Amino acid sequence: MATSRMVLAALAILAVLPVFTSGDTCLRPSVVSQTYTSSEAMMATETVVIVEFTLTCANNLKDVNLYAEINGRTLPATRGQNSKTYQVSWSDDHKNIPAGTYTVRFFDEDKYAALRKAQRSGDNTADIEPLFTIDVNHKGTYSGPFIQAEALATCVAILVWYLAYSTKSNLQS
Amino acid sequence: MMKTFLVLSVVCLFSFVNSEDGKPARLLASKTILNQYLVEGKDLTVEYNIYNVGESTAVDVQLVDMGFPQSDFETVRGSLRVKWERIAPGTNVSHAAILSPLKPGYFNFTAAEVRYQGSEENSEVQLTYTTAPGEEGIVSRKDYDRKFSPHVIDWVTFAIMTLPSIGFPFMLWYSSKSKYDTKPKKN
Amino acid sequence: MAGGKLQKLTKEEELLLQDFSRNVSTKSSALFYGNAFIVSAIPLWLFWRVHQMDPYQSAILFVIMTMISTWLVAFAYKNVKFVLKHKIAQKREDAVTREVMKKVADDKKMSKKEKDERILWKKNEVADYEATTFSIFYNNSLYLVLIILASFYLLRTFNPTVNYIVSVLAAGGLLALFSTSTPAK
Repeated sequence: MATSRMVLAALAILAVLPVFTSGDTCLRPSVVSQTYTSSEAMMATETVVIVEFTLTCANNLKDVNLYAEINGRTLPATRGQNSKTYQVSWSDDHKNIPAGTYTVRFFDEDKYAALRKAQRSGDNTADIEPLFTIDVNHKGTYSGPFIQAEALATCVAILVWYLAYSTKSNLQS
Repeated sequence: MMKTFLVLSVVCLFSFVNSEDGKPARLLASKTILNQYLVEGKDLTVEYNIYNVGESTAVDVQLVDMGFPQSDFETVRGSLRVKWERIAPGTNVSHAAILSPLKPGYFNFTAAEVRYQGSEENSEVQLTYTTAPGEEGIVSRKDYDRKFSPHVIDWVTFAIMTLPSIGFPFMLWYSSKSKYDTKPKKN
Repeated sequence: MAGGKLQKLTKEEELLLQDFSRNVSTKSSALFYGNAFIVSAIPLWLFWRVHQMDPYQSAILFVIMTMISTWLVAFAYKNVKFVLKHKIAQKREDAVTREVMKKVADDKKMSKKEKDERILWKKNEVADYEATTFSIFYNNSLYLVLIILASFYLLRTFNPTVNYIVSVLAAGGLLALFSTSTPAK
C-alpha cells in the first residue's frame, strides 16, 4: 500500500516536472518591434540597422538572453532598462547593406549553442529553428543627386545666350 | 591527516575550476558619431564599440550615455542605456543609437560611461569611459537645405518664368526678320 | 524768313535727326522699362527659393535692387538697339524697298521723292522694331547668364544678402558696360 502511494506520488512529480523544466524556454514568444535603417549617407558614413523590440513569453519567462543572426553575422542582443526590452545594432559599408528586406533570426541560449555547434561542424546553420524572426525593410541609403540642377540650368542659360550672341554677330557683320 | 588532505584537495579543485588566471577583464570603449554633417532636425548616428582586451569575461556590462540632454536632442531610435550579460575576452560588441539635434550651434559631445565586473566571481564594479567625439558644430536646417537640396522644381519654375522674357522678343524679331530677309529673285 | 527756313526740315531730315539721337520715344521707353523690370524681378524667385532668403525680411532690399537693375538693363537695351538699328536698316533696305514699291506701283500721282520718303520711313520703322525686340532678347539672355554665374558660382560661399546685392550689380553693370562697347573693326 505504502509503495503504490509512493509510486503515484513519484509519477505525479514526474508528470509535473516538465512544467518546471520548460521554464527554461520562452513559450509562444510575442514580439513588438521597431526598426531603423540609415536613409542618408550624409548622416551616416556606414549604414546602420537598429532593431528595438520587447519580448513577452507565454510562460512569463524573464531575463531571456538572446542572440541575433543577420546575414551570417551573430551578435548578442543588448538589454534595456526593463527586463523585456532589447536592442540589436548592426553596421557595415553602404555597399554591403543594399536595399531590400533582411530577416533577423533570434536565438535563446540553447538554440544559440546549437547554432554555434552547427557552425563549427560546418552544418547548414539555416536548419536551426530560431525562437522568432524580425524583418527589416531597408529602402537604401541615399547618396545624393547625380545631376546638379544648377549646373544644368547654367548650361542651358549659356547655350541660349550663345545663340543670341552669334545671331547678333551675324547682324553686325 | 586524511581529512586535511581531502579538504585541501577540494579547496585546490575549487580554485582551479573557478579562477581564470586571476587576470581580470579590461574593456576599452569608443563612441563615434558617424555623420558627415550634423544637421538640426535630421538623424544623428552614434556608434559605440566595446572591446575586451583583458583575459577574463566581463560580466554585467552597462553602457550609459548621459551626454545627450533632452533639451538638445530627441531620441529617434535606440537606447542610451543598455547592458550585456557578458563579453568574452578578445571579443567586441557594438551598439548604435539615432538621435536628432533640436538646435543648431556648437555642442560638446562627452564620453559615455561603461560599468562592468572584472570577472565572474569578482563583483567589484569597474568604471571606464568611452572616447569623446569632442566639440562639433550642428548646422541649421536652412543652411543645409541651401547647400544640398537639389531644388529641381524651383529651377524648372524659374526656367518657365524666363521663357516669355526670352521667347517673346525673339519670336517678334524673327518674324520681322524672315519677312524682310528674302533675297531678290532673279528675273 | 525764319519760318520759311524751319519749314525746310523735311520728313527725311526729321528721320535722320531721330536716327542719330539715342533718345527713344515714350512708347519705346515704356517697353524698355517694362521688360527690364520683368527680367530684374524674375531672379528674385531663385534668391527666395534656392538661397533661402526670406522675402518679408528682404523686401526693401529686393525693391531697391530691382529698381537699380531695371535702370541698368533699360540703359543696356537702348544702347544695343541704337548700335543694331543702322545695321539692320542696311540689311532690310532691299526687301523694304521692294515691298513699298509694290504697294505704290500703280499710284502714278506719287512723286519719286514721296516714294523715297515712304521707303525711308518704312525702313526706319522695321529697323526700329527689329532692333528693339532683338535688343531685349539679347540683353535678357545675357543678364540671366550673368546673374546665374555670379550668384551660383562666383559668390556661392557668401551670405545670401551679399550674394544678392553683388550679383545684381555685377549682372546689371556688366550688361550696361557691354552695351556701350563699340563694335570693333
